[in-house]
Amino acid sequence: MDINNPGTTVKCWVDMYADNMYSWALYKTGNKEIAEDLVQDCFIAAFQAMEKFSGKSDVKTWLFAILNNKIAEYFRKQFRSSRVFTSEGTATSNFFEADGSWLKNQRPQEWTDDETQLLDNNEFKKILQSCMDNLPGHWNAALQLKYLEEKKGEIICQELGITATNFWQVLHRAKLQLRKCLENHWFNK
Amino acid sequence: MHLLLLSCKKATELIEKKSLVGLSFRERVQLNIHKSVCEACTAYEKQSIKIDELMQKHIQAEGSGPDNTGSNTQLKEKIITKLPQT
Repeated sequence: MDINNPGTTVKCWVDMYADNMYSWALYKTGNKEIAEDLVQDCFIAAFQAMEKFSGKSDVKTWLFAILNNKIAEYFRKQFRSSRVFTSEGTATSNFFEADGSWLKNQRPQEWTDDETQLLDNNEFKKILQSCMDNLPGHWNAALQLKYLEEKKGEIICQELGITATNFWQVLHRAKLQLRKCLENHWFNK
Repeated sequence: MHLLLLSCKKATELIEKKSLVGLSFRERVQLNIHKSVCEACTAYEKQSIKIDELMQKHIQAEGSGPDNTGSNTQLKEKIITKLPQT
């Protein structure tokens, strides 16, 4: 790599990795324009941070780390902008009685499926993805943030500018819904 | 709220809190007592942990998305034109 000419180097990276990065960003966000913008931003950031890239890590790993940061940033924005507080209160009434006990037909039962390699199963992955896509925007964003970054919960909350209580309550609603969806379409089908 | 008795709604909230930021001593005791008498919430926790594991792998699995082997020349050209000029 010619570090004296960062322009050429980055062009070369674009050629080698842009396709992979784009399909990853598209897969995460489900939106072509957003995916393009994220990849674009990512290369601009890479170009500007070139001297920080020591060459110690693999280029692809480094670029994907930048991309994952950009994706997390996108979900943070998504979380803030699509957050509708009113839906949260009613959401739990689909699962619990007013006194907080499970509705009779919602009480969790043991799942019968104990397959351990579920993610090797494309059929399951499709269902998982569509269950996630069906969640309200900020719930999906909250889940993405929880799992995308191996950050402590406190840090995610700080970045979102909300309290930890707020965040795990949102996650609780999202999890209830996701769990139900997986149960209906897979585990107790 | 009673010192020891949680509703199922509250118990499942604590289960999610546990995996995100951890629980205080008191919350841990409350949750354990609740689970010892509530099969539904015990099942919920097991399933919640399973979903966590699945989601973690699913979301972090780089390249597990649909294969996009086609080259996106237009996008590449667009990116290159927008790079700062040297």
